[in-house]
Amino acid sequence: MKALVGNINRYALHDGPGIRTTVFLKGCTLHCPWCHNPELISPEPEIAFYLQRCISCGDCQAICPQKAICMESENRLDRRRCTGCGLCVESCPTGALVLTGREYELEELVELLLRDRLFYARSGGGVTLSGGEPTQQLLFISALLERLHREKIHTIIETNGLFSYEQFAAACLDHLNMIFFDLKYLDARQHQQMIGSSNTLILANLCRLLTSRAQDVVVRIPLIPGYTATAENIEQIGKFLRHQKARHFSLLPYHPYGLAKAAAVGMTPDQTLPTQAMDQSELLPWQEFFYELEMVTP
Amino acid sequence: MTPITLADIGLKEFTLQNLPRLQELRSQYFSRRPEICIERARYITKYLRLHDDLEDSPEIRQAKKVSYFLHRKSAQFHDRNLLAGNTTSKALGAPLFPEFFALTLWPELETVSKRTKNPQLLTDAEANELNLEIFPFWMDRNVLEITRTRFGNPKCLQLFENLVFFIAAKAGCISHAVPAYSLMLEQGVSGLITMAAEREGELAAAGDPKNKQQIDFFRAVQIALEGIIAHAKQLAKEAEQLARAANDPAEAAEFAEIAAICRQVPAGPARTFREAINALWICQVGIHAENINMAMSPGRLDQILYPYYRRDITEGRLDVGQAIELVGCLWLKIADNVTMVPEASEELFGGAGTVPAITLGGVDANGEDAVNDLTYIMLRVTELLAIRDPNVNARYDYEKNSTAYCRRVSEAILNTKSVPAFFNDTANITALTGQGETLEHARDYAVIGCVELASSGRDYPASSSIMMNLAAPLEMALFRGKRPITGDEQIGPVTEDPSTLRSFEEFWQVFKIQLDWLIGQAIQLNEYMGSVHQEMMPSPLLSALFIGPMDKGKDLIQGGALYNSSGATHIGFADVVDSLNAIEQTVFIAKKFTFSELLEQVRANFSGPQGEKVRLYLQNHAPKYGTEAPIARKNSRNLVQHLFNLYQSHINYRGGRYRPSYWTMTNHAGLGGISGALPHGRKAGEVFSSGMTPVSGAAPELTACLNAVAELGGELVPGGWALNIKYTPEADVAKMAERFAQTIDAYFRAGGQQVQFNIMTYEMLLDAKKHPEKYPELMVRVSGYSAYFKDLNEMMKDELITRTQYGLADGQAVPLPALQ
Repeated sequence: MKALVGNINRYALHDGPGIRTTVFLKGCTLHCPWCHNPELISPEPEIAFYLQRCISCGDCQAICPQKAICMESENRLDRRRCTGCGLCVESCPTGALVLTGREYELEELVELLLRDRLFYARSGGGVTLSGGEPTQQLLFISALLERLHREKIHTIIETNGLFSYEQFAAACLDHLNMIFFDLKYLDARQHQQMIGSSNTLILANLCRLLTSRAQDVVVRIPLIPGYTATAENIEQIGKFLRHQKARHFSLLPYHPYGLAKAAAVGMTPDQTLPTQAMDQSELLPWQEFFYELEMVTP
Repeated sequence: MTPITLADIGLKEFTLQNLPRLQELRSQYFSRRPEICIERARYITKYLRLHDDLEDSPEIRQAKKVSYFLHRKSAQFHDRNLLAGNTTSKALGAPLFPEFFALTLWPELETVSKRTKNPQLLTDAEANELNLEIFPFWMDRNVLEITRTRFGNPKCLQLFENLVFFIAAKAGCISHAVPAYSLMLEQGVSGLITMAAEREGELAAAGDPKNKQQIDFFRAVQIALEGIIAHAKQLAKEAEQLARAANDPAEAAEFAEIAAICRQVPAGPARTFREAINALWICQVGIHAENINMAMSPGRLDQILYPYYRRDITEGRLDVGQAIELVGCLWLKIADNVTMVPEASEELFGGAGTVPAITLGGVDANGEDAVNDLTYIMLRVTELLAIRDPNVNARYDYEKNSTAYCRRVSEAILNTKSVPAFFNDTANITALTGQGETLEHARDYAVIGCVELASSGRDYPASSSIMMNLAAPLEMALFRGKRPITGDEQIGPVTEDPSTLRSFEEFWQVFKIQLDWLIGQAIQLNEYMGSVHQEMMPSPLLSALFIGPMDKGKDLIQGGALYNSSGATHIGFADVVDSLNAIEQTVFIAKKFTFSELLEQVRANFSGPQGEKVRLYLQNHAPKYGTEAPIARKNSRNLVQHLFNLYQSHINYRGGRYRPSYWTMTNHAGLGGISGALPHGRKAGEVFSSGMTPVSGAAPELTACLNAVAELGGELVPGGWALNIKYTPEADVAKMAERFAQTIDAYFRAGGQQVQFNIMTYEMLLDAKKHPEKYPELMVRVSGYSAYFKDLNEMMKDELITRTQYGLADGQAVPLPALQ
């Protein structure tokens, strides 16, 4: 059994308690304009290109079987031709070309994740599955979580909430210690308009999870200037969470790191997004909408 | 297990502001410029000229020489330190040992005071005395020249003098030892003399001519120890005079008390904490009359001094503040000397202290928690003073020591940005039991100098006998026994041309042929010099403060200690492993280059038209030590295993085995500067990475780096290692300390032996290089010891700047900013 993994981040401190390893699975069903990991949206391997590292040696062009590389183009890659085979990445001396998305066998990934188990144990950490949307590779993560659970590793999933509840519950729920559930808009129309899909299933799944596992669910709200960060939206979310008896919430301050990554994989970054990160201190006024809930700051 | 009675183990109420004596002594220390002290050279030369009796045994000749000097050594008080005794006649002195390298100063007598980098002051009169009276006597009498004459200028000696292959440290010292002070404190030096006299009497009464060597040894011990007592009397006399001359009654009382202490100790038993500290210090001074000031390490002072501390506290003679003051006085006394460094050695050793190591915490002989109140007092003093010497090391047993202790040591490191270093009890005790030391003895280990390990007072490990440049045999394997720096000269055996080899395994065999040959040469020279030391430099005084010699009736240099190893350390470990990885991956697995192509690039220092491209490819695509890449794991393990097997198969002149270790002082910068390009993309002349540390920039993930290093720890590294980790400082020290401690704990559980830190950024170090005046006290960890950044040479500064900096907020390497 294999999974397509975009990135593995060891010594992660912001994806749950303690020192963790976060696995970013590739492929997502939502297309949020502010996506922090745009290179993980596509469910296929992709080549990212970083111009500042390139010495224009032309080795990539020489080796590409699809003739997908044009040295004159600032993005180098013709993505309509590129199959993501990775030959150019292997030949690139400087690391200007990077393959995003590598297949891992289950045992190979487990071995890697267990390497830091001493760090998890000392700090109360563990493994977090993120993405992309990890539930898109449900069979794999089901087997992975089961293996980790058997090794007594603390596990968390970070999800956008768009999944079949029955399948998710059957595949993962028993092997998860915590669920980090992202919520962007409460209003269905706004969700549809900004993200391009309905939030009906997302809200239904959240409600069901809160009914059975409220203690283990952290609802995470990204604060995106020009998008989600409006008093109206956040107030609605706060009310909804209180009503559904949610216990924990977390606010994700906006940061602009996604912009450069979007450009590297040939996407056009959203021009309306700020280039400055939001400061931790700017979270304070938003917290007031969540009275009666406990804030989680990993 | 000793209960902790301190209300706050951080002792935060004690600061330099409310410890005015320490504050003043510390600022005096920083204002002093090192001065060369010729006193010892003067008296031992005079003694040897006028009084040496060639009929005497080597031990007795040495004892008489040392005792003659100690009887005449000046007794001075340079400041208001509460302890009596100085290692030299200067407030901050660089003593000259003409038996070793002092003569390298000869061509520099005029310039040493005036050179721009780290000048050492020498008066005209003293320069004159050296030039006319002292140095001529030693021209053919120092260890190096005697070795040359006796062994006919052997090849191994020529290799050493080339300096680019290995350093044979015995030409400059043995020292590197941890004495056993407890018996001296209980019985006094007079008690030790009585014991030696009794043993001498018994052996003489037996009338067996075979006993002569032992009788001579016990005679020598008495002669040498009498020298310490004589010097203590001089100190008492001087203090009495100062008390009489003082106008201030408080000052008079202070000197009177010092005088009274010197009348009691070290001749008699120590009755108080203060007497114990001063007795120990005067013995350290005595040891330095005999042994050069290189890593003469006082050891586990929180254990040795604890009974005196506890008794005084219980009986109300001492409070915590006074104890802090006394410990601070000792730390500043230990810092009273530096090594004489001629200009020519600045490259290799510039900025180094003398590295007397103090070891805190860990477990006791029964394996129980040994951390006590004095441990925390010594940590606080280390944190408050933040000075280069002594080199303070914290042992940590993750099963027995408390989390609070681990956290407290972490906090001290974050506050000082560099000290103490952290040692893992489990791994280091395993390393020593693997050498045949009993579990009880191994548990009583202390750190010597940089990172070396020894059971306190039982182990005479000559731990810096050999410093091997591992890049030398690698280059010789690439170029059939030659090196670019030594040109066409055939150095090692003519091995196969690598371009004819069919597998990496075949290259590994070729590399081992060159490695084994060169190490064989270094060991040969160490054996030659060891035999010269046996005749010329026994250590009866140090032997009297050891466990073993007084039972066996044998000097340390003859194998008198319980354990008798020789240590060999290695420079360029990570660079050589990465080069092996690059060859295996790019030539034999991926077949990206042929071996000839790679050799061509290395020979040309990556300067041809494709050079930079090839270099970047090697840097970005070859597996790296510090990443857990399987090839890198295999090659690092194989190299450590091979070196262990190789050294362990050699028995030294004292009957012990050679032990490999991995620390580099500043040699990784100096030797890097004179080594050629290497297959992992390092250009000629660039620094090597330090100690056991992965190559800068090669290990982007902190946990992978710590795991990859840790798995090499324990039995195969009996001499110890230095791992340097640089962390970005964070504003919230308490929060960072928690993660810091957890990370160390995990690294230790994975097997890591030692780790030391610099809590600083690339930018700060760049600024310190540009504006040294803004950072007069900036202390950094080099490789096993501390140095003031401003004292380091430019290469070493650059090495520190470019070391991988990890964010402890994300466990990732921080990208190196563009360097001007």
